[in-house]
Amino acid sequence: MSFLQYLRLADVMARMSLRADASKFFLGYLWWVLEPFLYVGVFYVVFTMILTSRQEDFLFFLMIGKFMYLWFSKSVTQASSSIINGRGLVGQIHTTKTLFPLATVQEGMYKQAAVFVLLFIILVFSGYPVTSAWLYLIPLVIVNYIAILACSYVGATLVCIVRDFLPLIGMGMLFLMFTSGVFWNVRELGSPEKSELLLAINPVAFILDAYRQILMYQTPPDLAHLLSIGVGFAALLCGMVLLMRRTSQFLALKALAA
Amino acid sequence: MTQDRGAPLLELEDVTLSFHTSRKTFDHGIHRVLDGVCMKVYEGETVGVVGRNGVGKTTMLRVMARILAPNSGRVTSAPGHHASLLSLGLGFKLDLSGRHNALLAAMLQGASRKEAEAALHDIKEFSELGDSFEEPVKTYSAGMRARLSFTTALLTDVDILLIDEVLSVGDAHFRGKALAAMQDRIAGEQTVVFVSHMAEQIKKLCTRVVWLKDGRVEMEGDPTEVVDAYQAFINDGHRQGRETQMAEQARRDTEKAD
Repeated sequence: MSFLQYLRLADVMARMSLRADASKFFLGYLWWVLEPFLYVGVFYVVFTMILTSRQEDFLFFLMIGKFMYLWFSKSVTQASSSIINGRGLVGQIHTTKTLFPLATVQEGMYKQAAVFVLLFIILVFSGYPVTSAWLYLIPLVIVNYIAILACSYVGATLVCIVRDFLPLIGMGMLFLMFTSGVFWNVRELGSPEKSELLLAINPVAFILDAYRQILMYQTPPDLAHLLSIGVGFAALLCGMVLLMRRTSQFLALKALAA
Repeated sequence: MTQDRGAPLLELEDVTLSFHTSRKTFDHGIHRVLDGVCMKVYEGETVGVVGRNGVGKTTMLRVMARILAPNSGRVTSAPGHHASLLSLGLGFKLDLSGRHNALLAAMLQGASRKEAEAALHDIKEFSELGDSFEEPVKTYSAGMRARLSFTTALLTDVDILLIDEVLSVGDAHFRGKALAAMQDRIAGEQTVVFVSHMAEQIKKLCTRVVWLKDGRVEMEGDPTEVVDAYQAFINDGHRQGRETQMAEQARRDTEKAD
């Protein structure tokens, strides 16, 4: 199977899975956007009415943070169990096991594209200007996708070898939600050193903040930092692809025998 | 004799495969599925594999298709030749239509999107699903599912076809048709390794038969001889089982009488 054919296959798998999912629900494809908006609704109620957040434009601030975090966490969590869920196919076809998480991540990307479009429309209609800074969304989304894919490959491999990683990954995602500034501003932590440290060590916090800087404040992100994150995750991705190609039969045995 | 046929297309040399199970019911949790299997497959021949459930038939096919790697021993195939496994229900997505499942299955077996789409008409015709082809697979009966997966599998074009129990499906009419279609392929240059529990089919289709017992090759040679020996073994097993049961019953009866 050529590389192009492999990508097409992952894409068809993703689209078929989306179609199958949509057919299960009365509201079908509408759930792609309904679910993230409901999440935002829940958080909005909690933070404005109960905890009285002082963040300016909190609704939009929350929307951007929550949508990006959900894209990351849902893709990585679902992709982590994709190889063991694909056991039936694993036992019948000799293929690199990256196929399964790739299809899952691709599925998440299609859903996210719909969410993105709706978010942009809402921002524009709410009076946020579309400036040249929005062009920085292109490298940002690419880096974001690479980060998701790399983490998904790591998660899928770990869970395939030892199932116990699955609850740990769920816990890790919760930790990430609380430490990435989904509902608080990473730049207003009281001390600039703390903010800088968090942005430096938590790439998800940096990516979330970069979306907000571009969309809400028309400010380009720190490109050197973005590039270093991109290169780091790309290296991890390449390493995982090589590892998963070499251990394809071992992963198949693990997926089938456990 | 097989020795006249030159180099084998596929050869298993002293192949052993075992894995750790989560339950410690086997030898310290190690479950040995294949135990020193030697086997050669020559171009154009049809090799039948018989054996009781759980003796390692499917695992052997998976090793041949390179889905699993042996712990020790070697699997070699002639350069440029690949073995591909055909088995039933290639990960059906129950919410998708027969058409979409067939498309996905064909692509998973290595067809390009175009080739897969071109094959859909033939798949619909041969499987005799009619309008149901457009309905979700969850509405299908077991026989209809089997017809769909056999037809999709039949259209793959590979050097060495590994068939796992695909011919024992559907109603009598479809089974006859499936058998005829398979015979057509076998009559050509197709090299086949064929697992089945149906003695008559094996005798009819195969040029050589291998009997697997407890992960080892128990007997190999002329189809009629091997199948007859295997059936005698099974009947013997049944008789012995019955004798043990009767002895047990008699013992209980005497105990009661005492």
